[in-house]
Formats: sequence, C-alpha cells, structure tokens
Amino acid sequence: MTQAKADMVVDARNMEPPDPFVHTMEALDAIKPGQKVLLLLGREPFPLYRALELNGFSWQTEHLPDGSVEVLMWHKTQ
Amino acid sequence: MQALLSYDQSPPLAAPFRFFLSAPVFGILAGLLLLWSGADLFSSRWTPGVLALTHLITVGFMLQIMLGALVQILPVVAGANMSRPLLVLGAVHAAICLGTLFLVAAFLSFLPYWFTAAAIFLGAGVTVFIALAAHALFGIPSTSPTISGLKFALVGLAVTVGLGVALSLSFGWSLNLPLLQLADIHLGWGFVAWGTVLLAAVAYVVVPMFQLTPAYPGWFGRGFPLSALALVLIWTLADFVMPGFVATLSSVSVVAVVALFAAVTLNIQRRSKRTRFDATQHLWRGAMCSALAACAVWLLALAVPVVGEWPGWPLLCGVLLLFGGFVSVIVGMLYKIVPFLIWLHLQNQGQGIMMAPNMKKIIDDQAMSRQMLAHFVSCALLLLAVFWPDWFVCPAGLALIVAYGWLLRNLLAAMSVYRGHQHKIAAVIATQQTPPSL
Repeated sequence: MTQAKADMVVDARNMEPPDPFVHTMEALDAIKPGQKVLLLLGREPFPLYRALELNGFSWQTEHLPDGSVEVLMWHKTQ
Repeated sequence: MQALLSYDQSPPLAAPFRFFLSAPVFGILAGLLLLWSGADLFSSRWTPGVLALTHLITVGFMLQIMLGALVQILPVVAGANMSRPLLVLGAVHAAICLGTLFLVAAFLSFLPYWFTAAAIFLGAGVTVFIALAAHALFGIPSTSPTISGLKFALVGLAVTVGLGVALSLSFGWSLNLPLLQLADIHLGWGFVAWGTVLLAAVAYVVVPMFQLTPAYPGWFGRGFPLSALALVLIWTLADFVMPGFVATLSSVSVVAVVALFAAVTLNIQRRSKRTRFDATQHLWRGAMCSALAACAVWLLALAVPVVGEWPGWPLLCGVLLLFGGFVSVIVGMLYKIVPFLIWLHLQNQGQGIMMAPNMKKIIDDQAMSRQMLAHFVSCALLLLAVFWPDWFVCPAGLALIVAYGWLLRNLLAAMSVYRGHQHKIAAVIATQQTPPSL
C-alpha cells in the first residue's frame, strides 16, 4: 500500500487517543465517493473498524515490518 | 459521522465508574487507619493493622479499579462483551465493597464471623466476576499478547482469591492450615500472577498508545504472561514439595519476572516521542523504579543476613511495591482511562450535533500533577515510617488521606464535566427537535 493511492493521508503515529480517530473521521467527512484516506498508525485500530462499518466505509489494512499499520479507507458505494 | 463510534461495544459508563469512584474511599480509610493505629502498626508485617491496611489497598483500591478497567477493556481489546453489565456488576461491586470492610473488621477484631462474612462476600463477588469475564472471553482466540495476558491474569486472580478465602475461613473456623506459608503464596499469586500479568497485558496496549513509546518487544509480549504464571506455579509447588534451595531459586525467578517487566517498560518509556512527560508518564516511571527497588530489597534480604533479620524489610518491600508501584501505575492509568471514556460517551450522546469537549480539558492537568505530587509525598512518608514509625506514621496517614481525597476530587470533577455536557447536549437536541411555530 503506498501513499500515492490515497487522496488524503492521516499520519497519526505520534498522536495520542482520541486524536487519531478524530482526524480520521474528519478526513473521511471531507472525501467524495471514489476518493481514499490513508491512516498511518503504530498499532491496529480495532475500534475504528467498527466505526467504519457503521458509517458505510470499506477498508484494507497492511502491517508493516516496523510494527506499524496502514489502513486505506473509502466509501462502500464506489 | 463523528457520532458513530463503536458505541455498541462499550458498556454503560456506570459499569466501570462505580468501581473507579468508590476505590479512592478505601485509600482514605487506609489513611484513617494509620492515624488510628499509630506507630505500633509498623512493628511487623503481621500486625492486624498492617494486614488491614494491605487489604484496604489491594482489595478496596487496586482490585476495584482493576475490575472496573477490565469491564471496559474486554469489549474493546478482545471484543468480549459481558452480558447485563449494570445489574451483575452492581452486585459484584457491592459484594467487594462490603467484603473489604468485613475483612478489615476481621483483621482488627479477630472475631471469626467477620472472617467468614469477608470470605463469603469477596469469594462470591470475585467468582461471579471471573465467571462473567470467562464467559465473555470463551471462544475468543488469543490473537494478541493482551488477550492471552487477560486470560492468564484471571487464572491468577482465581487462585489469589481462592487462597485468600481459605486463609479467611481458617481464621473463622480454626482450620489447621500452614497460615504463614499460605499467606506468602497468596501474596505471590496476587502481586505477580494476577497484578503483574494483568498490568503487563494492559501495558502492552496502553503504554505505546498513550505514552507514544515504541511497542514492547515481540518476545516479551509472546512469552511474559505464560512464563510469569508458570514460574509462580513452579515456586508454589517447590515451596510445598522441595523447600530449601529449589524453592528459594524459584522464588528468585518470580521476583525477577517483576523486575523484567519494570526494566522493559522503563526502556521503552525512555524512547517516548513526547518531549515533556505528563502526570501519567511520571507515575508510570515512578512505579517502575519503585518496583525495581522493591525487588532489590527482596534480593538483599535473601543475600545479606543483616537485612534479612531486620523485621522492617518486608514492610519496606511492601510499601515500595504496593504504594510506589501498583498504586502509582493505577492512578496514572485512571488519568487516561477516565477522560477517554467520558469523551467517548459524550461524543456518542452528541449524535454529531454537538462535539464532546477536548479530552485534555476533562481533568485539569495541574490538578493531576498536584495529586501526583501528593501521592509521591505519601509514598515517601510511608517509607520513612518503616524506619521511624514514631515520627512518620501520622504524617503518612494524613498524606494518604490528602492523596486519595484529591484523586476522588479529580474523578468527581471529571464526572461533573460529563453531567454538565450532558445537559448542554439535551438542550441543543431539544432545540433542534422543537417544531417551528406557525
């Protein structure tokens, strides 16, 4: 997964909860169908997945060798 | 969209908060006990006052907050939801509060019926909680060190409370049990197999998350919970079957487990990306240093006869581990968990129409830092009281009352922010739903 695939990137690796969640939701609010948001985080965001499900988004998670994860998110309708 | 969090996976706020809010009251009672008992309390680890004080903190304060935190953590980390949390946990909470008071009355009076009542209430309360948690965790694969750690910690809790109930009943019914040996094993299971394993399981998630540190090393996450539990079990068996060198060696390995957790945590905390430590990070660092000091005192008592013969060393070790270690970590965790839960619930109740307040404004930074200082002062005075009880027991008691009273005040202030914001949300939503007048 590369940052080039995303229209917006939320680098939350140095953020404390709940900032990663808030910034991700703000980014998802801002994108149009067909666009994607990439979240960079130091751990897998399990509670976010439930929020994405409730809000009609699809996602794909990739684990990086340094232990961090990249979550690519987009509107389910596309 | 801000309204839709994973709210359906979070228990009602009252479920964990009833534990969090009543716990500091037992800390205040511990301070009052010190004032009432005076210097005699610290003459040995077996005085009724020390036993009562220890259980006010371990059961009244620590156990309550640990159970409250588990109520919250199980659904979020493991996806394990407890059924009917308010009703059942209300009963568990009442049983533990009453059981702690009965146990304190039992130690101070040595009347058999108090011991029996304490055993029934604490045994029943914890058994129901373990059954509830085990039911929620049943069938959930141990895909992370936290989930396996939580499962092992519950085993540790079951054994700790089982031994505690046996000890209590032996006082109540004059059973012929090896009390001193069982008390040490009860203590080992409580501090290491339950307390340290639970702490490590939770730390694995919350330390990197809230303190912006690198993750715990993979070997630590994979091996720590099972190794800690196995070593405590080996030590227990060795103590009964092979007392002497093998039992001593295995007890050293149990203490080394605690030291390892503290050292690994300090090592990752040293590499935190945060430039300025907050109260939680200071409390965690203080706790880990205090735990290392407790381990050092224990090893010194084993290796140096002069220290081992001094009756004050177990008290010194206990103050360092209990007040300096566990209480510091627990207060530090509360200062993250409480604002986060309040933010989460207000964010959902706002339904996207009204935003929750900034999480950092829910408990004032300065109030947390000052309470932290009061707590560290109380730890220092307790340590001094071990050496000079005539001079320092009363100041230590007063300091405990101030530290736990301040903690309660900070938690109640957070609840006040919650209630105030709830009223604002209700007013805003009512305005939006009012039909326009014709």
